[in-house]
Amino acid sequence: AAGGGKRSRLSRSWPTGPSKSLSGARCCGATRPGRTRTGFCNLGQDEFLDVIYWFRQIIAVVLGVIWGVLPLRGFLGIAGFCLINAGVLYLYFSNYLQIDEEEYGGTWELTKEGFMTSFALFMVIWIIFYTAIHYD
Amino acid sequence: VTSLLSESGCYSVVLKARELVFASFFLTLERFPAWQVGVQRRKCEMSTMFADTLLIVFISVCTALLAEGITWVLVYRTDKYKRLKAEVEKQSKKLEKKKETITESAGRQQKKKIERQEEKLKNNNRDLSMVRMKSMFAIGFCFTALMGMFNSIFDGRVVAKLPFTPLSYIQGLSHRNLLGDDTTDCSFIFLYILCTMSIRQNIQKILGLAPSRAATKQAGGFLGPPPPSGKFS
Repeated sequence: AAGGGKRSRLSRSWPTGPSKSLSGARCCGATRPGRTRTGFCNLGQDEFLDVIYWFRQIIAVVLGVIWGVLPLRGFLGIAGFCLINAGVLYLYFSNYLQIDEEEYGGTWELTKEGFMTSFALFMVIWIIFYTAIHYD
Repeated sequence: VTSLLSESGCYSVVLKARELVFASFFLTLERFPAWQVGVQRRKCEMSTMFADTLLIVFISVCTALLAEGITWVLVYRTDKYKRLKAEVEKQSKKLEKKKETITESAGRQQKKKIERQEEKLKNNNRDLSMVRMKSMFAIGFCFTALMGMFNSIFDGRVVAKLPFTPLSYIQGLSHRNLLGDDTTDCSFIFLYILCTMSIRQNIQKILGLAPSRAATKQAGGFLGPPPPSGKFS
């Protein structure tokens, strides 16, 4: 697989051949049991950032529901969301996928992808569930 | 008598009296139907508030769809826009690839070539923005009218309860036109803005109408400071 310092799950060679990603001959490998063979094969930069984006929205909805039901109040809730959102995604692409962040624009680019939209979505869900359960 | 007149005596008498007053007050209130009506009214207020919350989310979804609909009719379906968009995306990707492969010791000619390509891309982005300007005016006009209407409908109404106390400079928005000092009361405009921020971009992505990232990155030069040209700055 092509260059880079980090050994990446996305960079292991794949029997079907090289991907059409922006990084050239980089491929993915589904080495974990249960994952499909297509996995992240052939994902370009834009497609991978879309995955990150939608993953963020899902986290925002889930945390908004949990925070609203508990309920978690105050800036602790907001800070908790920011940390969990950024932390989970960072662990996902850094430890689990082990990608080379520079291939996708750097850690900052991956961290900020869809963050503001997910934050707004989290706030809306949080407010709705909090109002419905604890004030209705 | 002397024990009653002592400090501790007086204090215990006062406490006892207070107990009796409160007990009689609540017993009296329970007999009045108005107090029970007050409880029912409060329950109704809460249900109305949650209905308002859901209504505002629904309004936000509808206005986002309306905005995209207007933009599609006026802009997205035109051949000029489709051609410009394809051109901008192609040029952006080409330019990014070229910048990645070029080295510090690249010749002057190559650098000039890239600068020319950047200039061409900037012009195309400007033309693209001009084409979108038409829909922006139409949307702005529609939404000014709609916002005026919704503001008057929801004026002074608490539409949700915030699970946090907003910062003082945000309270101007979150507590807009609301009575009372409870800063966890949420006004229409604050919830609407949050809904729009979350829903609009998701709708654009789902419908496939969001501009590509490469084009957005390169377009930064038209609406704001140009992106750094990295090795050539």
